[in-house]
Amino acid sequence: MNIEVREKLSRDKWLAALGFKGKADKDLEERLSRCEADLLAAARPKGIYRIMKRDDVRTEGLSVKRHLEGCDQVAVMAVTLGIGVDNLIRKAQVTDMLTAVILDTGASVMIEQACDAFEDEIKKNTEKFTTSRFSPGYGDFPIEVQADMVRYVDGQRKIGLNVTGSSLMIPRKSVTAVIGLSEHPVKGRLASCNECVLRDKCILRKEGRFCGD
Amino acid sequence: MEINFGEEIRILDGAMGTMLQKEGMGTEESTTRFGITHPHILKKIHKKYIEAGSDVIYAATFGINRLKSGELGMPVEEAMKRAVGAATEAAEEAFEKNGRRVFTALDIGPLGELLEPMGTLTFEEAYDVFREMVLLGEKYGTDMAVIETMTDLYEVRAAVLAVKENSDMPVMVSMTFEENGRTFTGVSLEAMAITAEALGVDAVGINCSLGPSEILPMAEKLKSLTSLPVFAKPNAGLPDPSTGQYDITAEMFAGEMAKYLEAGVDIIGGCCGTTEEYIKLMAEKMEVLDGGRREKKSGYTSREKSRGLRVCSGSAVVKADHVAVIGERINPTGKKRLKQALLDEDFDYIMAQAIEQADAGAEILDVNVGVPGVDDVKLLPAVVKKLQSVTDLPLQIDSSNPQAIEAALRVYNGKPIVNSVNGEDSVMEDILPIVKKYGAAVIGLTLDDKGIPDSAEGRVAIAERILKKAREAGLPEEDVIIDCLALTASAQQKEVNETLKAIRLVKEKLGLKTALGVSNISFGLPARNLINRTFFTMAMECGLDLPIINPNDEDMMASLAAFNVLKNIDKNAVKYIDRYGADETEPEKGKAPSGIYGGNPHEDIFYFIEKGMKAETAEAVEKLLESHEELETVNNFLIPALDNVGKGFERGTIFLPQMLQAASAAQGGFDVIKASLSAGEREAVSLGRVALATVKGDIHDIGKNIVKVIMENYG
Repeated sequence: MNIEVREKLSRDKWLAALGFKGKADKDLEERLSRCEADLLAAARPKGIYRIMKRDDVRTEGLSVKRHLEGCDQVAVMAVTLGIGVDNLIRKAQVTDMLTAVILDTGASVMIEQACDAFEDEIKKNTEKFTTSRFSPGYGDFPIEVQADMVRYVDGQRKIGLNVTGSSLMIPRKSVTAVIGLSEHPVKGRLASCNECVLRDKCILRKEGRFCGD
Repeated sequence: MEINFGEEIRILDGAMGTMLQKEGMGTEESTTRFGITHPHILKKIHKKYIEAGSDVIYAATFGINRLKSGELGMPVEEAMKRAVGAATEAAEEAFEKNGRRVFTALDIGPLGELLEPMGTLTFEEAYDVFREMVLLGEKYGTDMAVIETMTDLYEVRAAVLAVKENSDMPVMVSMTFEENGRTFTGVSLEAMAITAEALGVDAVGINCSLGPSEILPMAEKLKSLTSLPVFAKPNAGLPDPSTGQYDITAEMFAGEMAKYLEAGVDIIGGCCGTTEEYIKLMAEKMEVLDGGRREKKSGYTSREKSRGLRVCSGSAVVKADHVAVIGERINPTGKKRLKQALLDEDFDYIMAQAIEQADAGAEILDVNVGVPGVDDVKLLPAVVKKLQSVTDLPLQIDSSNPQAIEAALRVYNGKPIVNSVNGEDSVMEDILPIVKKYGAAVIGLTLDDKGIPDSAEGRVAIAERILKKAREAGLPEEDVIIDCLALTASAQQKEVNETLKAIRLVKEKLGLKTALGVSNISFGLPARNLINRTFFTMAMECGLDLPIINPNDEDMMASLAAFNVLKNIDKNAVKYIDRYGADETEPEKGKAPSGIYGGNPHEDIFYFIEKGMKAETAEAVEKLLESHEELETVNNFLIPALDNVGKGFERGTIFLPQMLQAASAAQGGFDVIKASLSAGEREAVSLGRVALATVKGDIHDIGKNIVKVIMENYG
């Protein structure tokens, strides 16, 4: 189904993704607005989900298992911005790398917003208690399950989402995730730094912060 | 094998996955895997569809390919043998039982990985995977091939070539569209129709993704876009997002599908969610509706109907129903910088040329890599691939080497133009068959072994010969374009008018479209632009359709804009006013505050680079080169200016975006340096190669490109 990204792209998150501290000057803000318009024109955000039995969903790693503790069902979701965004970014890389980087980070902000909107939609349509979404590549939930996630929801046919042999998704601005469903209140659990495979490279951790904050 | 589509074949089958689930397959299981491990169930399902009235059954080979070997759990050949065997046995038993002939189809689905440039799979790899499927399908007895559920035209092309080059099977092609009439990768119905027809497939259609009522208007449109038999295989409505169940019944489905027949769609069937019940009711409806139509349909007069010249890329179609500019900038003749780029395989420069021309209003791009010392058989297809990664304009493959043309046509996505053949028999015999095979249009130059005839009539006679040969090679008339050749007015003044007359005659007598390289006309004369644009206007008035010009030349594009107003093509002069209607008293935009330090390039360049002002940096470098050597300019100005930026970045006063902007401004300066070096015939000094790498299979190379930009411009 199509997902509408109603809100403007969050400037704070966008600037943070660009490694920018403080507010954008007039020049940069103009660029952001132009890129935002291009992204909105190029993107066709789509999502698909399926409610499955907990045991039918391949989960590996400690963190996701803990996250889904107490859940008997799982909503497997997949969201993509569509190939138009990839094409836009690829083309920009030939003419203007700065624009390309701004588009790339903007698209990352946009896919998160699309996921938030879609997650709300899924939660609206279930009577059950739910956890937050948890994606392959987060914590120690391996990215290799990506192909399974996409297959569960027939992502290739339903929303045009493909997975390469190296478990990368195409279109690149795409996300799959699991949401735990339960008859009883569940909170889910974010991965801890100790479980996280990015532990040694994480900039946030070096700065004494946590990605779940 | 000869099959009469639309007559012998009217009814296709329904879903396989849905039927397998009814036979006990779990929803999380792989359909392909379940099928090949339960061939007797496959056979049972095929028989149900045959009894329901299907004229073709699709073998359960959709996902049986080398790339999915992990999912198969057995060798590809064994899986193919089982899946195809189930279909052929079912068909044979039906024939023995009641004498009814049912065809079996090798079902070819998407490979599951996207092709370059969107994905990482190369065209050649995709072709090889399909080739294996085709060889095995035919070996185990399928009658035809069906390429279905595709979203990428490039993948379709690889599959069609694999079928045609490795078997005698007829081939049907269907793609999956969204409500907006495009596939997920942006392919339009028309681009699919044009490309499929040019490649010589036997039927073209739409399947999956939507229900019959959503697909009907698209099927009607497709019917108007092609002379091929058209087929449709919709889903049983739309699925419930949480359960995956489809929402319309067999009766509703059959009722909707009857409308397809009324709209002239030739062949119908069902996709996800449909069962033998759906197909049975649909077939019964058809009998009631047009039981007698099968016989009457023979003859197919619409097949000859011309839709005029159309070319396309994977996502954009250009119809030659107006003057469409072919951009000439990617042709190294007389362009030192491009020559160097081709020798160095500097694809970024070439891609930037493409984007610039597209932005300037070109609708098709000529691609010529003819530089002495390059291997054009390798380079031409490489450039074509690069160009189609950044532009959706159709391309014109420009070469006289048949091997290079073929190599480029092979990897082209869509229907291009080949530039060119001429009136020499040997040239036509070498090139026309390739043009036909890969489904292109072709430009014929009105010259032969005796040279260019002086008179218009002589040129038209050659055009007629080219048309005849092209028809003999199997090309439709509308795909032949004639270039009547412009000579230089300074040397052959009286022949200028013959060219114009020839254009008129070719249009009137032969009804063909015309192309013309315009700017030759002014060679050797002063104020070339004036001659060029005047001649251009005269040629358009004579009927020139496809001018091959520099779209960055404002004078030429202005003439075209004016012509379109005066000929009532640009209705209400909308585009013209959009282009020129801005208030002229408005101050010129984009001009830098020329030199915040007072117009002294020695100082300004530091400011321009720090502020990321590319055009101004280039201008400042030009000025500096008046009094400095290239190397001096680099070492004393460009590098120190970048150093300042780098220091700011380390201090945290400058962020990545500004640094990139500064690097790209410096790039403007380095481009001027490079141009100056190559104009002086001096070699740029190379310090050796640098290898940059990314994660395996990562097409998301933006990080790599950031490093590249910084390194290229930081010396």
